[in-house]
Amino acid sequence: MMSSRICEHLETFKANYGLNSYQIIYKQFISVTTQESRKRKARNCICFTCRLPVLRLHSCLYCVFFGCFTEHHIHEHSKTQKHNLAMDLSYGMVYCFSCEDYMHDKDLETIAKKQKRRADKVRGVRCTQYYRWEPTSQELQVLKDNPQRKRISENSHIGLRGLINLGNTCFMNCIVQALTHTPLLRDYFLADRHVCQFEADPSMCLVCEMARLFQEFYSGKSSPHTPFKLLHLVWTHARHLAGYEQQDAHEFFIATLDVLHRHCRGTNGPTNNSPHHCNCIIDQIFTGSLQSDVVCQSCKGVSSVEDPIWDFSLDLGPSLHMRQQRASSSTQTICDESEPKSLIDCLERFTRPEHLGSSAKIKCSSCQSYQESTKQLSLKKLPVVASFHLKRFEHSSRFHKKISSFISFPQYLDMTPFMASKIGCKSGSNDSSNVNSYTNGVANNDNKYCLFAVVNHSGTIETGHYTAFIRQHRDQWFKCDDHLIMRASVQEVLDSEGYLLFYHKQILEYE
Amino acid sequence: MADMDRNRRMVAIAKQNLIESGEREQLIQLLRTRLLECGWRDQVVMQCKDVVRDVGVENITLDKLIAEVTPKARQSVPDSVKRELLQKIKTSVSNQSSFSTSPFNHN
Repeated sequence: MMSSRICEHLETFKANYGLNSYQIIYKQFISVTTQESRKRKARNCICFTCRLPVLRLHSCLYCVFFGCFTEHHIHEHSKTQKHNLAMDLSYGMVYCFSCEDYMHDKDLETIAKKQKRRADKVRGVRCTQYYRWEPTSQELQVLKDNPQRKRISENSHIGLRGLINLGNTCFMNCIVQALTHTPLLRDYFLADRHVCQFEADPSMCLVCEMARLFQEFYSGKSSPHTPFKLLHLVWTHARHLAGYEQQDAHEFFIATLDVLHRHCRGTNGPTNNSPHHCNCIIDQIFTGSLQSDVVCQSCKGVSSVEDPIWDFSLDLGPSLHMRQQRASSSTQTICDESEPKSLIDCLERFTRPEHLGSSAKIKCSSCQSYQESTKQLSLKKLPVVASFHLKRFEHSSRFHKKISSFISFPQYLDMTPFMASKIGCKSGSNDSSNVNSYTNGVANNDNKYCLFAVVNHSGTIETGHYTAFIRQHRDQWFKCDDHLIMRASVQEVLDSEGYLLFYHKQILEYE
Repeated sequence: MADMDRNRRMVAIAKQNLIESGEREQLIQLLRTRLLECGWRDQVVMQCKDVVRDVGVENITLDKLIAEVTPKARQSVPDSVKRELLQKIKTSVSNQSSFSTSPFNHN
C-alpha cells in the first residue's frame, strides 16, 4: 500500500523540480471547476498510446505524457524515458516506478487536500471529504502518558452506576440516571465540549458539575456514586428545591434543564429566555416548539403563534370540559369522552381543538370584536429528546391526590399525527408531502422516537419513592433504585406505571 | 473488429461529453453516496483490511490490493444502485447532441 517509508526518488524530484508541476496537473485535470477546464479535461485526458479515455489514467511528472495503468502504457513510458514518477488522475496519488508502489508524501497531500476542498466549495458539495484522524505529536505524548485503556464491548456495563440517596433524594437520582443515559448529552460531555462561562467562580457552574458527573459514570467504577456536590449546586441555584423533603422529580428535571441552559450561556449578559436565540446543548436536545392555533368561531379566521417547549405535561383523568359539565349541571350528562388510557390518548387530547367557552372570548383581529373561539395545539418543531410528564399529582386547594391509573406507553412512538403540518387547521397548504417522502425506498420519516428512560413513582403522594428504568446500548434495560442497579426486561418497563417518559429521535442507521 | 473500434470510440465520445457537461462528476458523487448509504463502502474497507492482513503490511502494494478486491467488490454492488446509475447515465447520454469534433485529432 502506501509505504510509510519516504520515497527517496520523490524527495529528489521535489528538490529538483519543486511542487509546481504536481499542483498544475491537479488543478487542471483533477479538481476541475470551470466549464473551460472541464472541456480541456474531456479532450485531453486520454492515454497517448491507446488513444482512449481510460480509467486509472496517469500523468508523467517529468513530461507531458498520459498513459493508462491497466495496459501498462505509463510503465512503458517510464522505462523508455527513464521518468520514474507518475501521478494518477483520479485521486492525485503518485506512483514511483523504482519503488514499484504508490508513495505517500505530506507536501503533495497538502496540495491535494487544499485543491479538493476548493473545488468542492465551488461546486457546492455539502459534505466535505472525511479524513481519518491522525494524532499530532502532542496527542501521541498524551496517549503514551495515559496508558490505561477501556474497551467498550456490547455487553459492557460502562455508564451504569448507582447513586447514594442523601435523604429523600431519589427524585434527583432518577433524573440524573435519565440524563446520563441521554445519548446526545452523553456524547457532548464525553467529548469534553463544555467551555465554562463562569468567570468568577467556576465551582458554581452546574454544567461543569454535570461534566464531572459523566466522567464518574463512565469511569468504569461500579461502586455507587455520592452526588453531594450536585445536590449542593441545585440547592444553590434552584432554592425552591432545597431541603430534605421529597421533591417532585418533574420539577427537578425542569429546574435542572433551566439552570444548565442558563449556565451554558454564562452569567454575563442579559438572560434571554427565548430558546429561539439560544444554541446551547440543552436547547439543541430538549427544545422543540408548539404551534397554537386560535380559530375565531365567527369568521373562522386563524391566528397562529409558535412557542418553545421543553417537555410535554399531559393531563390525565376527566378533561376540564367534563369536569366543568359535571360541576355545573346537576343532571347526569351522558358523555362519551373517556379518560386517556395511553400516551397516544394523552397526546390526542393535548392536540385536540378546545372550545374556549363563552367566558374566555378572544379579540378577533378581523372581526374587531370579542368572539368565542377554539384553540388547538400542535407540534411545529420536534425536539430531539421528547420528555412526557404524566400529571399524576393533583394539587388543588381541596385535595392532594395521586392518579395511579395505568397509562400504557409504547417503545416506539411516531409523532407524525400530532405535527402542525398534519393537523393542518385550515392552513390550506397540503404540506404533508414531507411526511411521506421516500429516499431509496425507505420512508424519510423523521418523526419516529424510541423510549430510553422511564421515571416511576411508587406509593402515595405523601410517602413515595422514585425509581428509574434506563436503556443502554440498543435494547438492554436496567432498573435504577438509588444505589441498586438491576437488569430489567423491556416488558417490565412497559408494564410500569410511568411518570416521566423520555424518548429520543431514532436515527436511521444501516446495518 | 471495426465494430469494436467504433463502439469504443462512441463510448469514449459519450464519456468525454459527460465530463465536459459536468454530469460525470455529479454521477460520481451520486454513486459515492449510494455506495456509502447501503454499506458497500464499509464492506469493501473490511475486505481490504483482510487482504492487507493476509499479504502482510510490508508486502502489500496498491496494485495487489486492487487485483484482489476489485472482482468481489464489483459483484457486490447492489442491483438497485446499478439500476439507478444506469438509468441516469442513459438519460444523460441520450440528451447529448452529437459532437462533430473528434477528440483524436488534437495532435
